[in-house]
Amino acid sequence: MKKIDNVICPFCGCLCDDLSIRIENNKIISVEKGCSISKSLFLNHDKDLALPTVYGEKTSIKESVKEAVNILSSKKHTLIYGLSSTSIETQRIALELAEFLGGSIDQTSSVCHGPTVLATQQTGINTCTLGEVKNRADVVLFWGSNPLESHQRHYKRYSLFPKGMFIPNGRKSRKLIVADVRPTNSSKLADIFLQIDIGKDYEVINVLRLLLKGKKPTSDIVGGIEVKKLKDLLDVMLSANYGVIFFGMGLTMTKGKYHNVEAAISLVRELNFHTRWSIEAMRGHYNVKGAGSVFSWQTGFPYAVNFSLGYPRYNPGEFSAVDLLRRKEVDSMLVIASDPAAAFPHKAVKNMMDIPLIVIDPKVSISSKIADVIIPTAQVGIGTAGTAYRMDGIPLRMKKLISSPYPSDVDVLSSILSGIKEVKK
Amino acid sequence: MKKFELITGRTLKQGIALHIGKTTESYQNAVAVAYLNKVDMDENFITEGKNILLSTDFGRVVVKALKDDIPKGMIFMPYGPWANLLISVNTHGTGMPDFKSLIAWFSPVDEEVWSWEKVLKEVKTL
Repeated sequence: MKKIDNVICPFCGCLCDDLSIRIENNKIISVEKGCSISKSLFLNHDKDLALPTVYGEKTSIKESVKEAVNILSSKKHTLIYGLSSTSIETQRIALELAEFLGGSIDQTSSVCHGPTVLATQQTGINTCTLGEVKNRADVVLFWGSNPLESHQRHYKRYSLFPKGMFIPNGRKSRKLIVADVRPTNSSKLADIFLQIDIGKDYEVINVLRLLLKGKKPTSDIVGGIEVKKLKDLLDVMLSANYGVIFFGMGLTMTKGKYHNVEAAISLVRELNFHTRWSIEAMRGHYNVKGAGSVFSWQTGFPYAVNFSLGYPRYNPGEFSAVDLLRRKEVDSMLVIASDPAAAFPHKAVKNMMDIPLIVIDPKVSISSKIADVIIPTAQVGIGTAGTAYRMDGIPLRMKKLISSPYPSDVDVLSSILSGIKEVKK
Repeated sequence: MKKFELITGRTLKQGIALHIGKTTESYQNAVAVAYLNKVDMDENFITEGKNILLSTDFGRVVVKALKDDIPKGMIFMPYGPWANLLISVNTHGTGMPDFKSLIAWFSPVDEEVWSWEKVLKEVKTL
């Protein structure tokens, strides 16, 4: 048996890097310090593994890669999608493949924090690292986010409980505010809870901006909340030495989408005329931040990129995965490190069923159940090493813990790319 | 039929179950559910654990009803293939579908909770 310390968890954007893993006979037998999701991830790493498959027949990795090459080299418009649960090294090759094919490529931000990206492009963003939050933040506001269910150790490691350089007493030195449309486990720990009517986040944030400018709204109640309560909240926010807003899908998926995020970023920018505030998106998949970064440095654009004219073009709503599928504009799809058949609206999934679908994933997924070709790979951070970006943009190197029977995503995508180059020579 | 507001989101049970396997009973038990306010359940003669047919303008699905302290008039479902049967594919030019604040309605049914196979079959017939 061997014990490996300082292991990074490949689940959410927290990228907790303090786990201890025990391994016996090439199998993970225990996880220390991880959250319950992390434990499930590591302890079930060898269960429900995908098998190399071509049109329903079990085959070898080599044959499934060969069929993927056949499909992709004969099609006119391939959509490559996923990439948030794999390494930046994989993301780089996926972009090269999309460019060579003249296809489209999108990552899971599209149906997650895509609106955050749009808002950031409009307004810029005052942001910070989680280290700054741990060491400085004395007022923390979670808006439309339920970290105790989605990012279980966020409170513990970064935002609420840890003692920091200027936060000597941990939880006692911090005020927690939660804004959500329903009470959650995360809101139960809050000093102030704002229960907002569904779809009224934009109004509430903008009333806070109005009050900050010394003006009065015409109504006494906004989004189900008394304006008096919002004034009290603003006083707490202005009393911060260092405040941070963390926001989740409650802003990006609700009506208004990027307008909600723009309003929140604008509020933070205006608070900075009085005291220091930052804002940070609660990124879900462990390397979705890396996907946006790699897309941006390779193409100039963070997601929803098309190469059909030989150069990258960017247009969410046009080249985003759900829209390309909705309009039936792609004739093949390569899914890697994601499960869009479990994440997309049904009509997009229906159109995935109607085109040749290649799925690269360590495990059985709903997408693999409708795939023509399945290529299993080693999980980054367990069966292979790789680099990922934490939700605040800090790159961390993930370790290989055990030997996997499968090749890495990098190896598989490289083989597909070189195979297609050979065919199209 | 009375209309409710449906929102979808992450849950801890879903996060744990997806690593056990997306085609396992654990995943179905965690994801093929709808959380309702107690008063809404009582008013619609639904007991905890009763199966309901949940519908929107865009689709329908049979899931298990569970009690939660969410506001009256709200339905919460975990993200997943079951909830996605109810979601519109329209993104309003943003790339992002409306995963929250959809108008939905429900009624109790004796039909079993749909399996992932049944969900895919429903998708295919659309």
